[in-house]
This record gives sequence, structure tokens and C-alpha cells, in this order.
Amino acid sequence: MKYMIMMFGAPSTMLENQSREWITEMFDFMHRFNADLTASGELVDAEGLADASQAKTVSLKNGIPVATDGPYAESKESLAGYWIVDVDGEARAIELASRVVAFIGLVGAPPIEIRQIMDAPPEL
Amino acid sequence: MTHVPIESLLRDLAPQVLGTLVRRHGQFDACEDAVQEALLAAALQWDAEGVPDNPRAWLVTVAARRLVDEWRSDSARRRREESAVALELPGQMQPADQDDTLTLLYLCCHPSLSVPSQLALTLRAVGGLTTAEIANAFLVPEATMAQRISRAKQTIRHSDVRFELPPEPERAERLRVVLHVLYLVFNEGYTSSSGPALQRADLTSEAIRLARLVQQLMPGDGEVAGLLALMLLTDARRAARTTPDGSLVPLAEQPRERWNAAQIEEGVALVTRTLGKAPIGPYQLQAAIAAVHDEAPSDSETDWPQILALYEVLERVAPGPVVTLNRAVALAMVKGPRAGLALLGTLDADERMAHTHRLAAVRGHLLELAGDAVEARAAYLRAARMTASLPEQRYLALRAARLT
Repeated sequence: MKYMIMMFGAPSTMLENQSREWITEMFDFMHRFNADLTASGELVDAEGLADASQAKTVSLKNGIPVATDGPYAESKESLAGYWIVDVDGEARAIELASRVVAFIGLVGAPPIEIRQIMDAPPEL
Repeated sequence: MTHVPIESLLRDLAPQVLGTLVRRHGQFDACEDAVQEALLAAALQWDAEGVPDNPRAWLVTVAARRLVDEWRSDSARRRREESAVALELPGQMQPADQDDTLTLLYLCCHPSLSVPSQLALTLRAVGGLTTAEIANAFLVPEATMAQRISRAKQTIRHSDVRFELPPEPERAERLRVVLHVLYLVFNEGYTSSSGPALQRADLTSEAIRLARLVQQLMPGDGEVAGLLALMLLTDARRAARTTPDGSLVPLAEQPRERWNAAQIEEGVALVTRTLGKAPIGPYQLQAAIAAVHDEAPSDSETDWPQILALYEVLERVAPGPVVTLNRAVALAMVKGPRAGLALLGTLDADERMAHTHRLAAVRGHLLELAGDAVEARAAYLRAARMTASLPEQRYLALRAARLT
């Protein structure tokens, strides 16, 4: 079963108030986490998103799609990055998310969200 | 025979075989598929049975057979169309295979194609890479890359491009596109950070191989030599540029004994041979700058006045905000950080710099040199927010953290 594990917040803001040691440790942690997922064959995709301050919003204005800067949402609500994992079940996805939360939650990062991806075979 | 020589032999032969086939049968896209199949067959068969006496002829024969098989399996209507297309092709001249390779490059870098398509098609048709290898290198799914290549070939089929060198008046401009495509392939491998490092290094090697090929075909062209030299002199620092855990090491802090001396020597020789003999161009100038860096025994012995002079020429030949940005660094090293910062100030209003982190990153660096830790930290953090590269974000965040 495939799950998307979503991380919110602004990594750059999170990095601003941390020590060099913590920053190094954080990158090492992410590196190791991805390496473990690759080794176990569970990693489908993992990406970090560029800062929300660089985002554009496209919406209809008078019937015409228009791109504007922003959204400049509350950074806690802004998607920062995601993993797509192919795992045995929800319990494993929660376990993986827990590892991340145990690390970045300590410095006040927002909670992590897990969503199943709709590729499950139909139940007979 | 081991695997590597067969693979590199196949890659060298790929554009020659494709050129011969297209010249003989027309239909670039069908020929390209046939050559890929022949390369695959060769990789399997030669590995088991040894390389045939005339590998090129073997590939041409097998690819031509695939092509004919493909045509036979198609409908009669389509076959008639294809032979008609084949007949329209100018077959009177028989230039050497070398021209074929150049013609192929011009075709793959045709201005009607999007840049990602130009890159992909060049790597496949001229570089002899498989779709899977290219997809891996660009970190996209194989199906995406297959579709991109297929669309590119369709565009070529539907446009009126002939398999011949571009007419003389267009040729310089078309060569500029070819060189830019090779430059982008190199950069994709060199600056990019995501994904397994080895595959990305392959991309820089492939760009160097192709640039070397073009340089052999056009030995008198200064910009071709300049591009090859620039790649060699930049890639020479690859091993020193990142630590094993993937963090970036700035030029000033790189352990120079880990630079590739042979590549530096080759690059410097190319620049030296070219400068002053051919019309000066941006690749030669950038290569000359890279050569000055690479030849300095230590960072403190870098000949900054020479680098500044070269950036001044570069700014005249090919002006742009990134050149100004680099000149500001050189200026800071020659006349002091405040002089560099003043030049950076001229870029603040430049729209083209509004969405890159590089201005803020350089400003942070120069403010740090000037001893302004508070402003330097703010600039680094701003740059860290703006970059889309993870190792760069890490580097910039660490720089900022150092100043607290």
C-alpha cells in the first residue's frame, strides 16, 4: 500500500534558530532516513519543496487564469516536503512518520500527516 | 573483453551508425529506434561472443535489418509514404561520418525543440545512452523520458528539417545552441545535488565526452575549445567540492590536492592554445577564469586582479546579472568587500535576480568578509529561504549559524 507522508512548516525558518550541530544532525538524519527507506525497498519518491515565499498561486480572475506571488499562508500550513512509501500497511507508515516527528518535533515542527494513495486494488 | 570498452565503443559508434542510416534511408525517428535496438543487440552479443572485426558495419547491418523489418510490419500505405520521404532526401553527396555526427547534433539541438527535449535527444541519438539511463540521470520516470524523446522525434518528423548541416548563415547561431545544450547537460550533472551522486557524475562525463567529440570535429573553433576547457577545469574540482555526506565545500576551502591535475593540465593547454587565436567568446573567458583558479597553489595565492580583468572582458562580451555578480566577488577580493558590495547594489533592482538566492548568498559572503556579522547572517538566511537546492540550503544555514 502506498502512503504519502507529508511534512509541513518552513524548513528554512526552522533552521534559523538552531545550532550548527543541530543543522548538521538534521541533514544527516534525513539522509539516513532516506537511505534506510531505499535499502528496504519502501521508498517510491521523496522531495523537499522550495520555500513557500517563492510560491505562485494560479487562480481565475474574470475567467482568465492569473498567476500571483504567494500564497504566503501561515507557514505551519504550508507543505514543506513529502515521502511516498510503498509499505505493508498503515502501521508501518505511522512508524516511519513517528521517526521523523521524534526528531523534528523537538524543535517545534508542525505535526506530520499521512494519507493513503488511491492505488489499492478494489476489494472483492 | 570487459564491459566498459564495449560500452564506450558502442557510444562512439552510435552517432556514426545513425548518420549512415539516416543518410541512406531517411526517417530520422525510425532509424534512431533501429540503432538503439542494434546497440542493445550488440551489447548482449559482443559481450558473449566478442567484438566483430568491423563493429561499425555490424551495427549498420543489424540496424538496417531492424528498420526494414519495422517497415515490412507496417501497413502498405505507410510504407509507400516512407519510401517517398526517403527518396526526397539529398543523397548526391557522401560526406565523411564525422559530418554526420555534427549534422546529428544540429538536428537534436534544433531550435523547434524544447530545451529538455534537446538534452534528451542529444544524449540518446549522439551519446548513445538508453532512455532508461537518461531518465535516471534526470531523475524522472522512464515513461516520462520515453515520451519526451518520442515527442521530440515527432517534432523533427513534422518540421521540414533535412538531414544536412544548417546553411552557412545560420550555422554560427545553431552551433551556439548545440554548445548551450552540452553546457546544460554538464551543469545538470555538476550543480545538481539530488539523487544518487554517481548517476549525476555520469552526466558531466558524458557532456565532456560530447564536447571533446565536437572539438575534434571543429578544432579551429575557439568557443568549442573554450567550452571543453571550461568543463574540464570545472569538473577537475569535483572530488573536492562536496564532503562524503553531500555538503558543499566552497572553492576557498577545497583541498586542492584532491583536484584532478590531468584535467586541469588538459584544460589549461586548450585555453592557452585558443586564446588570442580565435575570436574571443564567453566560454573561452569563463574557461580562462577557471584556469586562473585551478592554477593557484592555494586560495590566498589566487591571481584576483587577473580574474577581475577577465570578468570585465566577459561583461563586455556577454553582459548579464550573473556575470556582474561574479565580478563583484572578484572586485571585493581586489579592492575590498565594500567595493564588491557597492557593485552588488546595482543588481538589487534587476528583475532577473529577483528569484534567485545567489545575490543574497554572495552579499552574505561579502558582508562576512567586511566583518558585519549581523547583516551577513540575515543575508545568508534570506538566501537559504530562496534556494531550491538542499545542499545549498544546508550550506547557507550553516554559514548563518556560524555567525551567531
